[in-house]
This record gives sequence, structure tokens and C-alpha cells, in this order.
Amino acid sequence: MKYFKLPDLGEGLQEAEIVQWHVKVGDNVKADQLLVSVETAKALVDIPAPHDGVVAKTFGKEGDILHVGEPLLGYEGEDADAGTVVGRLEGGGNAQADSFFVGAAPSTREHLAPRATPAVRQLARQMGVELAALAGSGPDGLVTRADVEQAAQSARDSFGGERLRGVRRSMAINMARSHAEVVPVTIFGDADLHRWPEARDPLIRLGKAISAACEVEPILNSWFDGRALSIRQHDKLDLGIAVDTPDGLFVPVLRNVGGRSAEDLKEGMSRLRADVKARSIPPQEMMGATITLSNFGTLFGRYANPVVVPPQVAIIGAGGIRDEVVAWQGKVEIHPVLPLSLTFDHRAVTGGEAARFLKALVQALEQP
Amino acid sequence: MSNLNATTEKRALLEAVNMALHRAMQEDENVVVLGEDVGINGGVFRATLGLRDRFGFKRVIDTPLAETMIGGLAVGMAAQGLKPVVEIQFLGFIYAAMEHLVSHASRIRCRTRGRLTCPLVLRSPMGAGIRAPEHHSESTEALFAHVPGLRVVIPSSPARAYGLLLAAIDDPDPVIFLEPTRLYRMNPQPIIDDGKRLPLDSCFTLREGSDITLVSWGASIHETLQAATRLEGQGVSAEVIDVASIKPLDLDTLEASVRKTGRCVIVHEAPRSCGVGAEIAASLYERVLLDLQAPIQRVTAPDIPPPLYRLEQLYIPSPEDILAACDLVLNYA
Repeated sequence: MKYFKLPDLGEGLQEAEIVQWHVKVGDNVKADQLLVSVETAKALVDIPAPHDGVVAKTFGKEGDILHVGEPLLGYEGEDADAGTVVGRLEGGGNAQADSFFVGAAPSTREHLAPRATPAVRQLARQMGVELAALAGSGPDGLVTRADVEQAAQSARDSFGGERLRGVRRSMAINMARSHAEVVPVTIFGDADLHRWPEARDPLIRLGKAISAACEVEPILNSWFDGRALSIRQHDKLDLGIAVDTPDGLFVPVLRNVGGRSAEDLKEGMSRLRADVKARSIPPQEMMGATITLSNFGTLFGRYANPVVVPPQVAIIGAGGIRDEVVAWQGKVEIHPVLPLSLTFDHRAVTGGEAARFLKALVQALEQP
Repeated sequence: MSNLNATTEKRALLEAVNMALHRAMQEDENVVVLGEDVGINGGVFRATLGLRDRFGFKRVIDTPLAETMIGGLAVGMAAQGLKPVVEIQFLGFIYAAMEHLVSHASRIRCRTRGRLTCPLVLRSPMGAGIRAPEHHSESTEALFAHVPGLRVVIPSSPARAYGLLLAAIDDPDPVIFLEPTRLYRMNPQPIIDDGKRLPLDSCFTLREGSDITLVSWGASIHETLQAATRLEGQGVSAEVIDVASIKPLDLDTLEASVRKTGRCVIVHEAPRSCGVGAEIAASLYERVLLDLQAPIQRVTAPDIPPPLYRLEQLYIPSPEDILAACDLVLNYA
């Protein structure tokens, strides 16, 4: 219903008495048509219709007193009854239909996120345990430290097998760490050993030749810190020599290779070998290598891409010496050939430096 | 408003309130309505329209402009077996009635060791956004929520206004029922006048989502839903929860949702300091700290009285304000 209120009749008059209604409910009235006659303290006033419409209700009977602003007549229809509002109400809107869940949504009810303290979450990350898979044993399903440890243990148990220990365990950890950090590039080259009186057991000659190559490209004889991005060159060559044992890989260090005689080195090497074999080598004898040599050719194989172990930046692989057909001074000849692989960390060493190093190494080896 | 029992017609929040009042008065003759202009006039917003014609002046009572008296009258009626539904014309007028609400309505049950109860409902329009002068625009739900013994309920849709008002009238204790004025005529919805109550102690999940929980109530639900829609356009799935029952809070629902999403933004139109948002944030920190991916953020009005209407839109939290807080929470870590 749309209201027409008793209008201000002027002269400060606040009320009026209804004298006669000229319309009734259901009448179709036109604008300015006479609706009602009222009497104020001063005069008889005819009140016209403000606009067209159908009368839905008349307020007050003849003789009743109405106040200014009170409803006088109601038109049919819904609009415009905003009430005696202070302010303005926005209407309508075509927002989405109002649909809701009482309480939580279904997905919330289904959601069972693991609850764990930050320390336990960290432990789970370290141990590779997925928290979501655990049923916490703490209050309200809190995942405890013991739950994580137990899950890690049962993951190991379910895989079975034998736990790595000692040297094999360190190998697994160190190789993975190296692989994750180093940017390795490998180049290959051959040394023609036909000038050697007897082309076998090249270890000491290799050590001396690496030392000579370090004179040409000393950057290969460096340690590199990938986090600080700093490089440190060494004056002396301390050569790590990979030694294969039934227990795993050992890398004792032959010190100051450039500054010692071949006999001295040979003696030092056999002492290291014996200590490794007896498992009596002190840990410090296996620390501080500046370049590593893997002489795997004494077992089998030609080329390889061995793993650079930080902070070193280079490792040399020596394959097996074999007689090969070579072109020598315009003729076909058979010479003993030593295949060489040089893997370097391309974060610290350029390809050019590595190539010059390998060339110097081969040249040193090809001397009589 | 002629056919109040029609079931399929779309009705706005204001009409839903009117519909619930008609039904409550029809169901229980102890329900009485009193307040300024509620009878002949039908209420300034027409929330009580038609009640006096239908139920008579003894049950639909026009009071003087005297909120102290209205409050005291309602407490007395309620304590002696009636179920008064009081209308305070604007929330800014309620302070004169506070003595009766705080000192009597809220604690009659305790004071008389359960011999008397105070089943009154106090309805009042709340909030800014209707271009009204001062004292017509405030959101003071936190004042009532702080008083032990008062329930505080704020509907944000016609259906919830209908179901919650009926439940509030049923409730044996005093309920402060605050109606967002800005939503009174917005977004009409089909409602069935079936007398079904909604629970007074539950949140309502308006929108299911998995990435962030937006918590709001009252008129701010409108902007919060707009923000959620815009987040969806950015590929963010927002859950929107209408708290509805400000006191007591349904913390279980809020906790479960925030545990699911790990992120939470609380939106309210009331000023920030000591607002209900602070209570919700503190309770969530107590319960879900270890599941949070980012600190909870509040989007609220500033700590000032509602300004006159030229600045009103700056005062009310906007969808942009909500999105800025969501951005912080979503990109925190």
C-alpha cells in the first residue's frame, strides 16, 4: 500500500477533522480529484488526490481528527512505502540466490588437517615423513615427535634391506650432495705413452703430470665455496686418490705431489694403500685434497664422468691403458694409449681453462 | 505486503522480519510488540506493518519516545510471562535502555537463581550506508556481546532474518537482534513462511572454499561476498562464513574452516578496537595457530563515529579493502 498522508495545511495547523469522504475503497481516482473535505481551526479544506490510483484504504471516519503526517488514504500497490525513514534504503539487487549451510561446509567437515607443532613439522620434513598420512596420538589428534619417528622407522622397515654404514653411508650422502650442488662438465683426451719404457702403473706419473698441468692452469687446483661465491687457489697439489676396497670408496691424500720425488711419492702411496687396507688410516689423511684422481683403469673402463666433490673443482679419471692403432708420423702404428677424463665444476672453471689443463696433462704424460 | 502468507514471492530482509513477527504473534499470544511508531505507523521502516491491525493495540504498543521506559517495560513484561519484542528505532538510541539490558535483562535468571527468566527480544536496525545522520548508523554489537547473559544475533539475508528472529523469540533469555539497515530492501529472495527456526548458536557457511576463510556478519556480508567472487576470478577459492550469532560464537565452525584453509580475514563494519573481530581472531589463535599460513587480518571501520554521508562509503569496509587484506594473507608465505 502506498500512503498519502495528511499534508501540511499551512498556517501552522497541526490537525484537521474529517468532514466528508468523497471516495471509497476500490474507487479509481484521478490526480486532483477531490478525495476528502476536512475542517481545520480556520477553514474547510478540500484535499485533492496527489496522483492516479485505486483506493485501498481510507483512514479515519467522518468526525475523526487526524494529525499532519498521518496516513489519510492508501493507494493499492507496493512501491514507495519506504516509511518515515531517516536516510535512504537501497532496494533490489540481483545478487546470487541466498543459499547456505548451517554451520560448517561439507568440505570443512571432511577436512582433517594434521596438527603438529612447528618443531615436529620440521622433523617430519627432515625425515621425509608426510604429516597428512599420520594419525596423531596426542591430544585432539596432535601429531607428536614420537609419531613422526615411528613413521620414519616403519617406512624403513617396510623397504627392508640393509642400512648403509660407514664409508658407504658417507658415499651415499656426499655423492648426492655433490650432484645437487656442482655443475659438472667433462672433457676427454688420450695420452700416447709409446715413449715410456714400460707403459703400466701410471699412478705416480699421473700425479706428477697433474702437478705440471696445475702450473699451466692453477685455477683447477682450487676450492670453491658456492654459497659465498669465493674461490681459493692452492700453491701445492694435494692429490686425493680414490682407492677401491670391499668396504667402499676411500680417498687418501698424497700431499705436495709437485714438491716430492717419484720414489718418495711411490713410498707414500703404498703406505696409504696399506693403511686403507688395514682400516687404520687416520681421518686427517683423507682430508684436504685439492684435486682428486680416480685411477679406475686399473680395474676396467676407458672414460668416465666422475663426480667432483666440493670444495674441489676438478676430478681426473684415468682409464685402462691399451694398445691402439694410431697414426704416427704418417704411418699406422700400435701404441699404448691412456684415456683421460677431466670433470670440472663449471661454476668455478671455464671450458678453456679445463681444455688447456687437460692438454698440459697429456703433454706431460707423453714425455719419455 | 498484502499477502503475507504467500510462499513463492521474493521478499527482502525487512519483509522477512515482518513475516516472522506476524507468525510469532499468531503462534503465541504472549508475544507482544512495543516501541516507537511500531503500531499505527508500522515502524519507521515498516518492519511491524500490519501487526496492530491484525493483533490489536493491546499486543502492538506504541510507546513514547523514552527508551529507558521501553527497556524497563520489556524486562517487566518478560519476567512476568510475556514475550516482548521491542523495537529500538535506531541502534544509536539504545543507550538510555542500557541500564535495563545490562543490570536486569541479562542477569535476572542468575539473580533469581532461575526463578525468573527474561525472554525478551530487542530488535534494532544497525549500521551505516543509508545516508542517515549521526546516531542512526552505528554498529555496536560488541557492547552487547560483552555482557554475560545477552545473546546477540545479526541476520544477513531474508531467510536468516526469518528463521533467526523466530528462534530468538522462542529463546528463554534476552536476545539483541540487530538488523542491517543497509540490507533491509536489498536482494529479495523467495522465502517460505513455514515457521522453521534456524539455530541461534551456529555460523552459516555461505560459500564453500579451500584457500581462504572470509568471516563476516551483518551488512558487510554483502561486500565480503563480492570480494569472494572477485577472488574466484583470480583462481582463489574463498570460503565465506556468516557468523550470525555474535554471542555466543560458534567457534567450532570457524576453527574447522580456518584449519582447512590456513588463512583468515575477518570483516566487520564496527570500529576495529575491541570489536568482535578481535575476539574471533584471539579465539582462533588459541585454537588453530599451528595450522595458520599467515596472520589473521581484520578489515573494519576506523575507530571513529560513523561520518556524515558524503564520507560514509569511505567508512564502510569496501570489497577493495577486503581484497587488499586477502592479498596480504594469501601472499604472506
